[in-house]
Amino acid sequence: MSTRMRAFAGQLIAVLFALALGSVVILLVDESPIRVFTTLLRGAFGDINRVAGTLLQTTPILISGIAACIALRGGMFNVGVEGQLFLGGFAAALVGFAFALPPGLHVLVALVAAILAGAAWIAIPAWFRVRFNTNEVVSTILSNYVAVLLTSYFTIFLFKRPGGWSETPPILSSAYLPELFSFSRLNWGLVIGLILAFAAAWYFRNTPGGYAVSMTGSAPKFAEYGGVDVKKRGFWVLIVSGAVGGLAGGVETLGVHHRFMEGFAPGFGFDGLIAALLANGSPIATIATALFFGALRSGSLLLETDTNASREIITVIQALIILSVSAQVLLRRRGDAQAGERRWKF
Amino acid sequence: MEVLTSLFNVALLVAMLRTTAPILLVALGGSFTTKAGIFNIGLEGQMLIGAFFAVLGSIWTGSAWGGVLCGVAAALVFALIFALLVVSFRANEVVVGLALNILAGGMTISLMKAVFGTRGSIVGRGIVGLPKVQIPYARDVLGPYAQLISGYTPMVYLAFVAVPLFVLFYRRTRLGLHIRVVGEKPEAAEALGISITRVRYTASLLCGLFAGLAGAHLSLGYITMFTENMSSGRGFMAVAILIFSNGDPLRVLAGCLLFGFADAFSLRLQTFGYPSYLILAVPYLVALTALFALSYRARPKLIRETAESMRRFLRAETPSDTTRPS
Repeated sequence: MSTRMRAFAGQLIAVLFALALGSVVILLVDESPIRVFTTLLRGAFGDINRVAGTLLQTTPILISGIAACIALRGGMFNVGVEGQLFLGGFAAALVGFAFALPPGLHVLVALVAAILAGAAWIAIPAWFRVRFNTNEVVSTILSNYVAVLLTSYFTIFLFKRPGGWSETPPILSSAYLPELFSFSRLNWGLVIGLILAFAAAWYFRNTPGGYAVSMTGSAPKFAEYGGVDVKKRGFWVLIVSGAVGGLAGGVETLGVHHRFMEGFAPGFGFDGLIAALLANGSPIATIATALFFGALRSGSLLLETDTNASREIITVIQALIILSVSAQVLLRRRGDAQAGERRWKF
Repeated sequence: MEVLTSLFNVALLVAMLRTTAPILLVALGGSFTTKAGIFNIGLEGQMLIGAFFAVLGSIWTGSAWGGVLCGVAAALVFALIFALLVVSFRANEVVVGLALNILAGGMTISLMKAVFGTRGSIVGRGIVGLPKVQIPYARDVLGPYAQLISGYTPMVYLAFVAVPLFVLFYRRTRLGLHIRVVGEKPEAAEALGISITRVRYTASLLCGLFAGLAGAHLSLGYITMFTENMSSGRGFMAVAILIFSNGDPLRVLAGCLLFGFADAFSLRLQTFGYPSYLILAVPYLVALTALFALSYRARPKLIRETAESMRRFLRAETPSDTTRPS
């Protein structure tokens, strides 16, 4: 069996193992696993509207997942996708309702604003990471909290829509991301995500720059010896990762909500990171894992109404999947003590 | 002036000591893993699960201490899973830690719905909070300042008393020494016949113990309730403190007091009508600023020493010499 097949099989076994563990948890909360899983399936793929709903949930997870992939390839964790997503979403909404521009241009400017906001938000952690080796995991996690509170402040104190809700005024229709079909809110965001995934995969596979990034991540000494400016490269990897994270928020705002709401996309950034980890840092595989998590999310909407389980049970399942994937060394050759360490070295 | 006196007074100090306690407990727990050379981002989840099970245990047993026991047990289970995956299976510690945090978040909400049928928070329902310890004669001796040392929950005292004990532990005990050796020079530990695996397991479990206590203090201390994600990043702040304090108990204490102050101060500011969203961000901003400002000093010793010796080397040589490595 080729290594690629083995890796895939290992991942699959880990997912099945996690689902089994998840069933135990579901039994613990006094619900039948079969009922929960069938409800999830029905909620995710029951009819054409639900499939569209699943794809709609997949979009932000996919784009955040690619953001996480880029950082992982460079040997770093961008746990701050969540924060970049919030700021990107807000920036896009701001451009969307505050300026009047011609239709095509308006969307473009709003997305650029989202990208810049995401990049700006990671700039400080990124600079300290490469300059002083400040742990980027902690700095990006902590900046998530600041980002959520900051956008809430902007929304409620500076740009609140007159009337009751905690949201900005709606964006102008010229800034809407066009919808793909008439029956669903599914929009061009998904296409943007897919293009990004293939572009990232192509970049890592076929360009010297992409190779330099991969080597910076997996073998920094080798990269340095080969003439790569590891620090500079690492900085830009994080900036691009943050920029894509911001784009995820912009797409969500312009495509789905058409305004910025307080807490508008909870957990998409984290889902993206998990999807990227499960895909082992491969942008193409992230399409599949993002779809999987999108389906879980969309299916979980039915959980609340049709079963006694809460929809957070899917977070439990996701966490169990990552845990069992990380422990996969179990299934590999015995005595290969380094296998676990080699994993996640992208 | 009046504003200042109403901002800075005894009550602020008292509030600071209170808010310091949970983060100090969890950071002290993390000092075990930091010293043993494990980067434990899972503190947040251990604290959260501890807080939830403390409430659950307190309702089941009808006693606060039963709750503390349950909370600690739950945190220990999480710590054990962490150690199993990270130490035995050599999984990536960041991945495992983050996954355990997510697991704790999802699990507490799911269990809350299953057990209590509610979302959001658990209030009342027979939760017994921790008692307040009144130090005898404090009021007679200190007068109005008595509240500085008296009337806290036992966890607060435990947290502050633990700091000097931790100093002694690392300096004077065999286990403390072993933990430090394993963290700083695993090869040396191996050569000495110290089992790295056992030491790291012990450190992880001790960490879980303290994280559980911190969680129990959160939900049974000054407010007797559990809310979704009630640890709200304190575990991550503790990790930030651990990074720039390198796990040294005294520096951990200093860092935690800073956060306790930021926390108490921001709560105080809220009463002055500043937008609460910005005020709530203050502790996180303090954590970030401290992390960035101190990271220059906390550069790995190796790099610092190499830089210094190179500087010495360059000074000794004249510029015309071939000091460049060929």
